[in-house]
Amino acid sequence: MSHLLDPKAGATYLLMGNEAIVRGALEAGVNVASGYPGTPSSEIIENLSRIAKERNIYVEWSVNEKVALEVAAAASFAGLRSLCAMKQNGVNVASDFLLHLVYSGTRGGIVLVSCDDPGALSSVNEGESRYFARQLEMPLLEPGNFQEAKDMTKWAFELSEQLKQIVMLRSVTRMSHASGNVSYGALPETKRKAEFKFKGFILDPEEGIITSAPVEWRHKEQQDKIRKAKEIFEESPFNTYEGPDKPELLIITSSACYLYSKEAVEVLNVQDRVGILKLGTTWPLPPKLVTHYLARTEQVMIVEEVIPFMEENVKVLAAEKAGEIGAKKFFGKNEGVLPSVGEMNPDFVISAISSILGIDYSPVSKEYDQSAKLSAFVHAPARDQVFCPGCPHRASFFAIRRAIELDGRNGFVCGDIGCYTMAVRPTGFETLKTVHSMGSGMGLASGFGKLGLFGMDQPTFAVCGDSTFYHAVIPALINAVHNKSNVTLVILDNGGTAMTGFQPHPGQDFNVMGESMPAIDMARICEAIGARVEKRNPLDLEDTLHTLLEMMEDKNGVKVLILSQYCALSPQRRGKKDYELSVDETVCLGEECGCGRFCTRIFRCPGLVWNKEKAKAEIDQVICVGCGVCADICPRGAIKRKEVA
Amino acid sequence: MEEKKLTRGQQEVREKVISLGLCTGCGACINLCPYFRSHRGKTSILFPCTVENGRCFAFCPKIEVDLDNLSLSIFDQPYDGNALGRYRSIFTAKAGEKIKSFEAQAGGTVSSLVYYALTKGYISGAVLTDRRGLEPIPRYVTNAEDVFSCSQSKYTAAPTLAVVNEVVEKGEVNIGVVGTPCQILALAQMKTREKPYPISLSIGLFCTWAIDFRLFEPFISRWIQASHIRKVDIPPPPAEILQIFTSQGEKIEIPLSEIRPLVPKGCAYCMDMTSEFSDISVGVLEGRPDMNTLIVRTERGQKLVDEAIKEGYLIVSDMPKENLEHLLWAAGNKKQRALKRASDENLINCESLSYLRLKGELLNQLTQ
Repeated sequence: MSHLLDPKAGATYLLMGNEAIVRGALEAGVNVASGYPGTPSSEIIENLSRIAKERNIYVEWSVNEKVALEVAAAASFAGLRSLCAMKQNGVNVASDFLLHLVYSGTRGGIVLVSCDDPGALSSVNEGESRYFARQLEMPLLEPGNFQEAKDMTKWAFELSEQLKQIVMLRSVTRMSHASGNVSYGALPETKRKAEFKFKGFILDPEEGIITSAPVEWRHKEQQDKIRKAKEIFEESPFNTYEGPDKPELLIITSSACYLYSKEAVEVLNVQDRVGILKLGTTWPLPPKLVTHYLARTEQVMIVEEVIPFMEENVKVLAAEKAGEIGAKKFFGKNEGVLPSVGEMNPDFVISAISSILGIDYSPVSKEYDQSAKLSAFVHAPARDQVFCPGCPHRASFFAIRRAIELDGRNGFVCGDIGCYTMAVRPTGFETLKTVHSMGSGMGLASGFGKLGLFGMDQPTFAVCGDSTFYHAVIPALINAVHNKSNVTLVILDNGGTAMTGFQPHPGQDFNVMGESMPAIDMARICEAIGARVEKRNPLDLEDTLHTLLEMMEDKNGVKVLILSQYCALSPQRRGKKDYELSVDETVCLGEECGCGRFCTRIFRCPGLVWNKEKAKAEIDQVICVGCGVCADICPRGAIKRKEVA
Repeated sequence: MEEKKLTRGQQEVREKVISLGLCTGCGACINLCPYFRSHRGKTSILFPCTVENGRCFAFCPKIEVDLDNLSLSIFDQPYDGNALGRYRSIFTAKAGEKIKSFEAQAGGTVSSLVYYALTKGYISGAVLTDRRGLEPIPRYVTNAEDVFSCSQSKYTAAPTLAVVNEVVEKGEVNIGVVGTPCQILALAQMKTREKPYPISLSIGLFCTWAIDFRLFEPFISRWIQASHIRKVDIPPPPAEILQIFTSQGEKIEIPLSEIRPLVPKGCAYCMDMTSEFSDISVGVLEGRPDMNTLIVRTERGQKLVDEAIKEGYLIVSDMPKENLEHLLWAAGNKKQRALKRASDENLINCESLSYLRLKGELLNQLTQ
């Protein structure tokens, strides 16, 4: 039995933040869960899928976040409890539906879990999902520790049903992926039956139709819910204060920043000078509670990550209440005390408190700090982001890059979101020249492909992964074909949503619960859209190269090249070597003219190692996955490949 | 002042040849390494190389070509600036009676000599240039009968030397090569390096300029599908036309003024019309479309020609004086124009890397 299913109330487990969210959902009796994979959110749906059958939960990886939210909302409309999980930019994708959902309201409890990634540890943005709560006027909860992650999730379902509104629960990487002790509550027996009721009075929230119109009426209903949320939040146990009655400095914080603030106050030993107001209900702010603490201090610092969301909200409230509580001195992003980009950490908070309170604090001497930095800069080996040993993307980009250079017309590739995004770096031969959101590579390529009118003759490519193809590329491909854009789309099909951990997608014949499902054939989709489609194995370098060169000469509209090969780490490939590789040192040219360390300097598979003493290449047998591609790139044929029986 | 470390590798070829537009796609840098490749007549650098002394640099006919050194290595004489280069004798020539009839560009002299050299074992194979449509395709021919399928001028710049590099890498020896002046110049550098290429015969072609295949193909498609082209010819002046003979027996004539924009920029810097560093050079003979001009430059070339004549593979006669005068005038003109242009653009004898090096006095004399 999964530790997440221990029925004993009071049992304590060390849980990852995302597991705590799952346990909270289980304690709330969640019926339906959906999402689209994205770090740091993916473990929520994955963990739920593993216990779905035991708990009679329907779990799916949806094609994208918008559809995921629609799937979850359908369950709510039918009276069930549902959860929808995604990373921060997934909320952007879902936001169009979300805008309308907050007008129409919901029935069964529905919680949107957004796991944000301040510092972009696993993202190409550090987007903020919190602003959606304010902009779309829905309640926002932010757990400040792992126990709260569990408790707050459970409560979010109750709140959603109380307000008849979707509730957003926002985590961050350091909450989702760190672990802490969580004490369990009871697991309920849920026997909810799904039924969508629509025959009641048109405006009846329980039995009428569900729509965002009449807009003004619905919008007012929605704002009433926010007013009600404020009242509820005034009493919420998730908003806590610790510190002196009248602190010299009041820190207002939430989420992981609560832990950083506590650490900073302890390190500086200023518990009797600094108070911490930790908010779990961050939108709408509970005005009475916040005013109560603002009134007891003259100085306020808001500690939060990235954009000053809470800072703005507190300042607005302080301005409204200035007549009662007087003007306060604020410290935060706008005052430059704390950074508004990247992750927060205790050091930032320590130096902010030190400067405000005039404390002379340095954790290490300046000399030590400088020499440590210098030493790290000089001696630490440069570690660039690289594709794994035997990654088929390396082979794909090796072919694409060579095709572009051979063609010689300054062609370029519009990138997309996946492991292959790293092809902006040398590991992918610096092939990608644009990277934005999912599906944007193809959309940009569609646009570039129409610029011939203005004299542009650079061949244009887009690349996308297989999961990305289904997520957001299809509309852009339709656009390119319909508008006769002259571009080539290369689909890097590695048999799953590889970057986030091989979650299945609609191109595969199974789902997250391991059930057999119809696979949606991407080649047939592309053909039906009207593109010319070719399929190749990217590990066959020359075949792929010649296909690409030929496609670049084909000026008849949109071409699609599907390069299919399982990810080297995939369940399908893992542990299986097709070849044993070895280097014949008598043939290896090494640094000489004719090679110039081509395999370890340019191709750079981590399985290839440069032996400085011998000035020859070697195979790292421990990490080599035996794909055999390096034998084809060695200019002298010094890399030998022997088939593994 | 800190002395800048002089490297002679890919980066220099990129900056001083390819970026300046001097590359004619001769193929000298191709197939040596994974970095240089030729595709549809164009030389590309695929990835950066850090080798400091590269063969790409050593072979390239557009960077640091020391004419005196080359001339001394090949002819034991310094470079003298003669319009036709150093030579032993000059004739008019055509295929002898031992050669079966084939479709030659003019007198069939080149094919006859290669055929003869292969048949008699002077060379074990020859690097020639075939074509597919308009695209020149270099080939290594070891069967003498295959020589004739590579006959005729291509007019499009070809990476012929890529195949020379390839077969040398494979260990072939006694290689014969037919090439244009830029290719023969590069070949001379390959032959005279520390580890000389095993080249037993180099036959140079006369060349005023070549045509960029990538521009030529779409240009020609206005008249004819490339696969229907039987022969391309540029008759000697004053015709000023390019003729295309189709497989349906038609003839298309295009004024040279329309062709000249399709010439690679690099050709304008070439000071060699008659492949001055070959064993034997062959070109057209004005007024005689069925004959060639034949220049014999080396002892090895002389021996081959003498025997080919003796055995009935080649017929030669004296070069009429007025033909020789006109050839000298045309070749001298090309040399002067190119040297002047290169000199004006500071590409000769400069402190840093140069295109050409030759005696300053001689340069002044040639560019006056």
